[in-house]
Amino acid sequence: MRDADPSTNEREFLLAALKDGARIDGRKFYDFRTLRLTFGAEYGAVEVQLGNTRVLAKVSCEVIRPYTDKPTEGFLMFNTELSPMASAAFEVGRQTDEEVLVSRLIEKAMRRSRALDTEGLCIVAGEKVWSIRVDIHFLDHDGNLVDAACIAAITALLHFRRPDVTVVGEDVTIHTLEQRNPVPLSIHHIPICTTFAFFNNGERMIVDPSFLEEQVKEGDMTVTLNVHKEVCALSKAGGIPMEIDQILQCTKIAVVKVAEITAQIQAALEADAKKR
Amino acid sequence: MSRLDRTRTSAHQLRPFFSSQNLLNRADGSAQFDFGESSVMCSVVGPAEVKLRDEKLDRATIEVVVRPLVGLPGIKDKAREQALRETLEPLVLSGLHPRTGIQIVVQTMKDDGSILATAFNATILALLDAGIPLKSILGAVTCIVDAETNQILLDPTTQELANAKSTHTFVFDNKSSITSDSTQEDKEAVEVSTLYSDSTGLFSEEEYFECAQICYKAVQAVHGFIRTAVQKKLEKEQQQIHS
Repeated sequence: MRDADPSTNEREFLLAALKDGARIDGRKFYDFRTLRLTFGAEYGAVEVQLGNTRVLAKVSCEVIRPYTDKPTEGFLMFNTELSPMASAAFEVGRQTDEEVLVSRLIEKAMRRSRALDTEGLCIVAGEKVWSIRVDIHFLDHDGNLVDAACIAAITALLHFRRPDVTVVGEDVTIHTLEQRNPVPLSIHHIPICTTFAFFNNGERMIVDPSFLEEQVKEGDMTVTLNVHKEVCALSKAGGIPMEIDQILQCTKIAVVKVAEITAQIQAALEADAKKR
Repeated sequence: MSRLDRTRTSAHQLRPFFSSQNLLNRADGSAQFDFGESSVMCSVVGPAEVKLRDEKLDRATIEVVVRPLVGLPGIKDKAREQALRETLEPLVLSGLHPRTGIQIVVQTMKDDGSILATAFNATILALLDAGIPLKSILGAVTCIVDAETNQILLDPTTQELANAKSTHTFVFDNKSSITSDSTQEDKEAVEVSTLYSDSTGLFSEEEYFECAQICYKAVQAVHGFIRTAVQKKLEKEQQQIHS
């Protein structure tokens, strides 16, 4: 089932409102929707709600043999299949362009920015390394899947604890959660995506577009930053051409947003740690 | 005897239920159902447009998609899809919506055993939420026969499943439910209608029927819970309309 295009009335109303300086859900141009983080009972399970967009991330690990050319490198894998639960437009077993873009962006933001220390996942060089798997389940699609997925993935990785191991000579013992306290992953920095949508020939830009806004937009751009004001990834796949100044302005707005979101993630993690 | 999960005192005790309906905004109906730390989310879209090759001239096509918590869908998930679809097909009044499709997506949110039973209960709540016409309501419960004690344990956790000699999942409809005001004769006259039964492992005939009996009694609680959940939801909706 394809998503129905918004009616002319809806489209015109949204564009007219934007021209008058308002968004239809009452947000300011550079506001995110309310972000809610819920942790599961086990380590590494996080449900993220960004307004009506809902994403579940689950981290799991296993011990595998590394590649021979990189004997000390652990693995980090993402599974970002779009489920038809999020929208009936997503079909099982058929990748849409949107799905490819979303998974590529997550990959770039998290793996290629070296957010996770993969060398730290090595147990015995050339023999055994940890493979960390992040399953991202999209439950409800109300726009901006990328930002929600990115927040879910990094929060789940921060929340996750892997079993402790001891190596004596050639013998490797993996301790169960009851035997020894599990250990957190070593994470270098927290990359956070901020997505912008452009309207009115690129003159009007907004943060965190909703589904309707995504359908009407002229172009979009995703900036991935961390709190140290470092750009981890930047993606502008098509859409209307932009001026360089605007891109700079986007990154400046993103810096503020990233600081807010990072603070919220850390506060949520601390609150959860106290409960355990 | 205390159970392995330490929260339950009896072998025939179910974990606490939790349900929530109408959670998702893009689906026509959705629900989450929990048995303790096992949780399943289900969404329903339909009756809607259907692909030409799946179209049935006299009834709605029911499509079930089961998605695991970790990894890509495998054979186990395909088996669950088939179990859900074939159990629901006779239950849904699909003849009322010919040449349409009803898509059901089942997503495991937390896994601590008895996932198939949890999925059945979540699905029926989501179908009710979507307003799909149904013949009756179902309720599902899993039980195991413990390998050491030969005791029948209801609603097992992952840990308990590891010690199971055999595992049995039963689904019953609510047409034959024993209500509090039914007389003794009614109770004896009810014909238990089993919608689905799945057993794995080694077990005797007596064990199987004992399991079925225990699960049937336990399912009455699930039926009652579903009834209350729907009732509460409708009352809330009524209040919203009148306020």
